[in-house]
Amino acid sequence: MNRPRPALELKGRMLPVTRLRVLRDEAEAIRAQLQALAQQMPQAVAGMPVVIDADAATDLRALLAAVREVGMQPLAVGEGPLAQMARILRVAVVSADTGKPAAERPPAAGAGRAVKPDLPPASRVGTRIVTQPVRSGQQIYAEGGDLVVLAAVSAGAEVIADGCIHVYGRLAGRALAGARGDETARVFCRKLDAELIAIAGIYAVSEQINDGPRGVSAQAYLQDGRLMIELHQV
Amino acid sequence: MAKIIVVTSGKGGVGKTTTSASFATGLAARGHKTAVIDFDVGLRNLDLIMGVERRVVFDFVNVINGEATLKQALIKDKQLDTLYILAASQTRDKDALTQEGVERVLNELAQSFEYIICDSPAGIEKGAFMAMYFADEALVVTNPEVSSVRDSDRVLGILSSKSRKSEGGDGKVREHLVLTRYNPARVAKGEMLSVDDVKEILAIPLLGVIPESQSVLTSSNAGVPVIREENSDAGLAYQDLVARFVGEERTHRFLAAPRKGLLGKLFGSQ
Repeated sequence: MNRPRPALELKGRMLPVTRLRVLRDEAEAIRAQLQALAQQMPQAVAGMPVVIDADAATDLRALLAAVREVGMQPLAVGEGPLAQMARILRVAVVSADTGKPAAERPPAAGAGRAVKPDLPPASRVGTRIVTQPVRSGQQIYAEGGDLVVLAAVSAGAEVIADGCIHVYGRLAGRALAGARGDETARVFCRKLDAELIAIAGIYAVSEQINDGPRGVSAQAYLQDGRLMIELHQV
Repeated sequence: MAKIIVVTSGKGGVGKTTTSASFATGLAARGHKTAVIDFDVGLRNLDLIMGVERRVVFDFVNVINGEATLKQALIKDKQLDTLYILAASQTRDKDALTQEGVERVLNELAQSFEYIICDSPAGIEKGAFMAMYFADEALVVTNPEVSSVRDSDRVLGILSSKSRKSEGGDGKVREHLVLTRYNPARVAKGEMLSVDDVKEILAIPLLGVIPESQSVLTSSNAGVPVIREENSDAGLAYQDLVARFVGEERTHRFLAAPRKGLLGKLFGSQ
């Protein structure tokens, strides 16, 4: 006996989606940047599925037009300042970070401000993990992310990351976190004997660290533009 | 399959050539057919310490340039018929070592020898690089002082990134720490780094600790590798080192200062 063929089926599939994040409410600048991008890599931009996020409220209608103009396909808008307008325009709204549909709730006044505006603009890149000792004369750079060193960083070695640096052995070399200016980056180590520690360009050399913790578990961070290096106890 | 072992350090004067000579002699004395090559072109010393300086006719550079065969250039040791020395040229400079030439000589040696010991020059320039590039294992010779340890650390970094093994992706060079000129009395007084300090900084397995000893100088001057000195601490320490290298268990000796007797305490110096 023949069963009727189902008219549809549901499949969970992953679709690579680019999240387009609006940083400033400047329609002209946004449009110019989109055009430049389309000129640089026309094949990537044509038909590119995008989800729009925004740090600040902007004219969604104009934004959608600018995005479609260069050939991108806006699929949805992330929960945030634009969500309310998106619902009015019947554009799908997804949660700000995971891509799951946002929970159904009535858009309250000011709800769009829930997203923290101070999130770093760079998208997350995988952490770089180094299992071998970093020897004198070697330099390791974790671009766009964190750096984790499971062994020691010797005197004369240099470890650099755009994010945080974690050293599980002795840190005797130089450690530069937040290399591209991220002031929230930190340096952690199990045994601090560093020649130099820097965060977002603010640095201290060994001589200046002298009064602080030595040979112990420590962390370094920026507080009001000052580099703090202190004992790290849990 | 022959094993190529480089003896290296970065810093000069720490005991690379002394270690190369004793290590090669020790392996050969155990019946392993061993060749030891001096890579220090222009500043050759190995032939002196091995006591063959008056028998050098052709050298390593002659073989690389095809001016002599390997057989003509290898000098056979007078006591051990399993030990051969390939001297460096004194009149040339390090540029005479080409990668292809060195590889050809090592391949030819590998056909008839079990161990090939490469005595590296100091520094991290071409001669040192050539000596370590083809190595399967490395003896990193270090003195218990900060500059020597830092230079060794640098060399370990180069070994892990710029050797044939690391470039080819087939494993890494096996590293051994050899701590020379160790003086337990000065370590106790805090004037020298201790074994544990050096092990912590370099983080590689310890193969041997050679105590500071008068006999190293006297035997070098006499052209006899110190491992042949049965009555010296340094000689015994090198014998232990070779035994450990071939897989025997030996506890580390000469790590503590000898205790002075009553008379020594009364009349000895500080």
